Amino acid sequence: MTHAPVLSVEDLQIHYRTRDGVARAVDGASFVVPEGRIVGLVGESGCGKTTAVRAVMGVLAENGWRAGGKVVFKGQSIDASNTRPLLWRDIAYVPQSAMSSLDPVYTVGAQVVEVLTKRGGASRAVAKARAAELFDLVGLSERRLADYPHQFSGGMRQRAAIAMALALEPSLLLADEPVTALDVIVQRQILDMLRDLQQRLRLSMVMVTHDISVVAYLCDEVVVMYAGQVVESGPVREVLARPRHPYTMGLRNAFPDLLSNAMELVPIHGSPPDLREPLAGCRFAPRCPFVQPACTAGDFPAALNGGHLSACRRDGEADAIRIAALDPETWQRSSNSAMS
Amino acid sequence: MAERAEPLVAPGWRLSPVVRRMLAMPLRDPFAFTGVLIYLLFAAVALFADQLAPTDPMEILFTKAGKVAANLGPSAEFPLGTTNLGRDIYAQLIHGTRSALAVGLSAAAIVATVGTVVGLVSGYFGGWVDALLMRVADMALSLPFLPFVIVLTGFLGADTRNIVLAVALLLWPNSARVIRSQVLSLRERAYVEAARVTGASQARILFVHIAPNILPLSFVYAAIAIGWAIITEASVNFLGFGDPTSVSWGMMLQDAFTSQALSRGQYAWFVPPGICIILVVVAGFFISRGYEEVFMPRLRGR
Amino acid sequence: MRLVLERFTHNALALLAVTTILFFMFRLMPGTPLAAFINENLNADQQQAMLEQFGLDKPMWQQYGIYLGNLLTGQMGLSFFQRRPVTDILLEVLPNSVILTLTSLIIAYIFGVLAGAWLAWKRGSWIERVAVPVVLATRAAPEFWIGMVLLAFLSFHLGWFPSGGASSPGLAYTSNWGRIFSFDYLQHLALPVITLALYLQGLPLLLMRSNMLEVMHEEFVTMARMKGLSEWRIVIGHAARNALLPVVTAFALGVGLSMGGNVVIETVFSWPGIGRMLVQAVSVHDYPLAQGAFLMIALVLALMNFVADLLYMVLDPRVSHGRKG
Repeated sequence: MTHAPVLSVEDLQIHYRTRDGVARAVDGASFVVPEGRIVGLVGESGCGKTTAVRAVMGVLAENGWRAGGKVVFKGQSIDASNTRPLLWRDIAYVPQSAMSSLDPVYTVGAQVVEVLTKRGGASRAVAKARAAELFDLVGLSERRLADYPHQFSGGMRQRAAIAMALALEPSLLLADEPVTALDVIVQRQILDMLRDLQQRLRLSMVMVTHDISVVAYLCDEVVVMYAGQVVESGPVREVLARPRHPYTMGLRNAFPDLLSNAMELVPIHGSPPDLREPLAGCRFAPRCPFVQPACTAGDFPAALNGGHLSACRRDGEADAIRIAALDPETWQRSSNSAMS
Repeated sequence: MAERAEPLVAPGWRLSPVVRRMLAMPLRDPFAFTGVLIYLLFAAVALFADQLAPTDPMEILFTKAGKVAANLGPSAEFPLGTTNLGRDIYAQLIHGTRSALAVGLSAAAIVATVGTVVGLVSGYFGGWVDALLMRVADMALSLPFLPFVIVLTGFLGADTRNIVLAVALLLWPNSARVIRSQVLSLRERAYVEAARVTGASQARILFVHIAPNILPLSFVYAAIAIGWAIITEASVNFLGFGDPTSVSWGMMLQDAFTSQALSRGQYAWFVPPGICIILVVVAGFFISRGYEEVFMPRLRGR
Repeated sequence: MRLVLERFTHNALALLAVTTILFFMFRLMPGTPLAAFINENLNADQQQAMLEQFGLDKPMWQQYGIYLGNLLTGQMGLSFFQRRPVTDILLEVLPNSVILTLTSLIIAYIFGVLAGAWLAWKRGSWIERVAVPVVLATRAAPEFWIGMVLLAFLSFHLGWFPSGGASSPGLAYTSNWGRIFSFDYLQHLALPVITLALYLQGLPLLLMRSNMLEVMHEEFVTMARMKGLSEWRIVIGHAARNALLPVVTAFALGVGLSMGGNVVIETVFSWPGIGRMLVQAVSVHDYPLAQGAFLMIALVLALMNFVADLLYMVLDPRVSHGRKG
C-alpha cells in the first residue's frame, strides 16, 4: 500500500484528573488510518477508544489533558491548539447518541445550516439548499429539516447526525458507536449507508465500537484496544480469522456468529484494571488463560508480522494459543485464577 | 439522583453507611461546616443567654439621674445602646436567639416530618392516597404565603405557635413532592424488587430500604425550613402581628421601625438583628446545599 | 391545546380551593358569622344591602354559592371603615403594586441572568467562591430589613430619596399615566424598587448560573465545540438559550409570589399597594377589605402560575411540538 495514512496516532497518552488520582485513560496507543479506509476501533467500555478519538479532535473534558504522544493528520502534527481550523471541515464526528448531541431548542435544519454558514461561509440560501441535499444523501425527507430533534426516531437521528457530519465535506470521519443504540435491522441500514457514502465520497473513517461483528461487517482494518493500549491491529479478515492476542481471541468467542461452527458464548472472566494504578507489563495478564511470569515482568515491544501487530508476549506461539482459545474450558479454568 | 449500584442500607440501618455519610457530610464541605458552626454558635448563645446578658431584655432601665435610659448609643454598659423605651438592645439580641431557634427548629421538624411521611406514603402506595395527598399539597401551594400567615395570626391571635403552624402548613408540600418523586424512582430499583420478591413486608421495604435513601432530602428541606420560618416570623412580627411580650429579632425590628430609629440613624439597634437573621438563614442554605451534593453529586469543578 | 386546558383547569381549581378556604376561615373566626360582612360602622341601609347581597340569613352552603357568584361579578362587599365597595378600593391601589412588582422583577432578572451567566463562565475562580455566598446572603436577609437599612442611609441620612409613600402631598396630575411617569412618583418608587430588586436578584442569578453549569456539560455543547463553532455562539446561542428556559418561567412565577411577599416592602416604605392594604385591613379587623385584598393576591398568584405553565409550553419545543414518527 503506497497511500500515506490520513491519520497517524503515535504513542498517545491521555490522562484525567479524578478525585482519587490521575487516571491514564489512554496510555501509549498507536494506530494508523490509511487513506480511504475504514478502521474499526474496538474494545470494551473504558478501554479508551472514545477518549482517543475525541483527543484527535482536541476536545477533551475539563479534567483531561494530553500527557504525551503525537497525532498526525495529513502530515501535520495536531493538538488542541491548532485543530480548530480542521474541525468539521477536515475531520468530523458522528456521535453515539444523536439525541443528546443535538440542541433540543433548535430545529435540526437550523443546526445543519448553522454549521454551513458559520463554518463553511455559505450564505443562508445556499446553506438551506445544501442542507436539503445532505438530507437526501442520507435518505431523509427535506421536510424533516423543520423538525426538532425529539421528533425524530433513533435511526433518523443517526442519519441526521451523519448528514451533519458530512456538511463541509471532511476527509476523515470519526464515528463513535454510531449504531450501538439502534435495533439490529436499523443498524444494518445505517452501516450499509455508511459504507456506501464512504465509497462514493472517498472518505476515511474510524468506527469506534464494542461490537466486533460491526467491525467484521464494515471495516477494512481493525484496532483492538484494552485498558488504554492497543493490543492488536491489522487487516480485518486477517485479525478475525487468525487473531494473535488472547484478548482478541476472547472477544471473538463472545460473538459466535463470526465463526462457522456453532459455539456457546464464552465470556472472559474478570474486569479491566483500574487505570489509576501504575501498571507494568501486559495489562490483560490477570484475566489471560495463557499468562506466564514473563508477561508481567516489564514492558516489551509489540510483535509485527506483515501488517498484523500483536502486543502478546507469547506471539511466537500464537497459532497454538489460538487453538487452545477455541476451547471453552480454557476460559473457564482461567476464571479460577483470574483476579476480579 | 445518585446512581449507586449497591443499596445504601443494610438491615439495622441506624449505623448504616447512609447515616454515617450524612453525619460526616459537613466535614467534607467547608460551607456546610461553616453552617454547622453558625448553628452551634447560636445554639450556645441561646443556651447561655442568661449568662451572656444578665439584664432583662424587656425591663425599662433608668439612668442614675432617674430618667428613662432612652436611645443611648453603644457604650461599655450597653454594647448596642438602648431602645427609645430604655431597654437594653444587646440583651434583646441575645435573648432573641431563643425565640429564633425555637421557631426555626419546630417549624423545620414539622415540615420535615410531614413532608417526609407524605412523600413516602404518596410515592410508595400511589393510587387514590397519592392523588388525594397531592391535591391537598397543591391547595397549600396556591395560598399566598405571607398574606395567609398574616390573616391567620391577625385573626387567630398573635401567638408564635400560630406562626409556626402557618409556616409548616405552607412549606411541607415542597418537600413532600420532591421526596415523592424520589420514592417513585426508588420503587423501581432492583434491590427493592428483590426485597419484595423475598417476601419483605411493605413496612420493612419502606423503612429499611427506601426511607434511608431519601433522608438527605428531608434534611435539605428541614434546613431550608428553618430559615424560612425565622424570616416569616420576623416579617409577621415586623408587621405588628407578633407577640409584643416575647423577645425576638423580628420584634426588635418592628420596635425600631415604629419608634423612628431609622430617622435617628440608630444603626446599632436595627442592623444587628438583621445580621443575625442573615447568618442563621445562610447557615441553613449552606447545610442544605451540602446535603444536595450528597444526594445529587455533581462535578463541582474539582 | 389539551394541555392548555388542563393547566387552566388545574389553576382555576386551585383558586377555587383558596376561595373556599377563605370563605370558611372568615366564617369560623371569633364573632358571629355575620361579622364577615356586617359591622356597626356601616349605616343601616348598607347593612341591609349586605345582608341581602350575600344572603347572610341563609344556610352556609347557600351563602357559599352566593359568595362565589358575587365574586365573579366583582362584588366583594363594603369596607367597614371606608364604607365603600372593596372592589373600588382595591382597584385603586392595584396599579401601585403591579408597577412596583414588575419594575423590580424586570431589573432583578436582567441583572440576575447576566450576572449568573457571567459567574458560570468564571467557574472555579475566586470570584465565584466569594460571589456565591454573597448572593446567598442577599437571599437570606429579610426584604424589609434591607429596606430599613437603605431607608435609614439613603433617605434619612443622605436625603437622596423620599422616606415613604408614592407621592409628595399637594401634587395634582391630569391623568394616571401622567402621575406614574412624573419625577415625583419615580423618585418615590426608586427606593422600594432598589430594595426589592436587591432581594429578588438572587434567584435568577443562582438559577441561571446553575443551569448554565449543567448545560455546559451537555453533549450538544461538546458537539458544538467539535464543530469548531465560536465560543460566543456556543455559550450564548446554545448554552444560554437552553439555560434561560427555567428562568423565564421563574419570572412568571415570581410575579405571582412577589405580589404576596411585597406586603412587607409596602409597609416599610408606606407604599400604597394591595399588600399594605391587607395589613391595615387585618389590623383593624376590616374583614371584607382583608378578604378582598387576600383574594386579589391569590388571583394574581393563580393567574401567574397559569402564565408560567403557558410560557413553558410555548418556549420548549419538546412540549410545543409533539412527537412524530
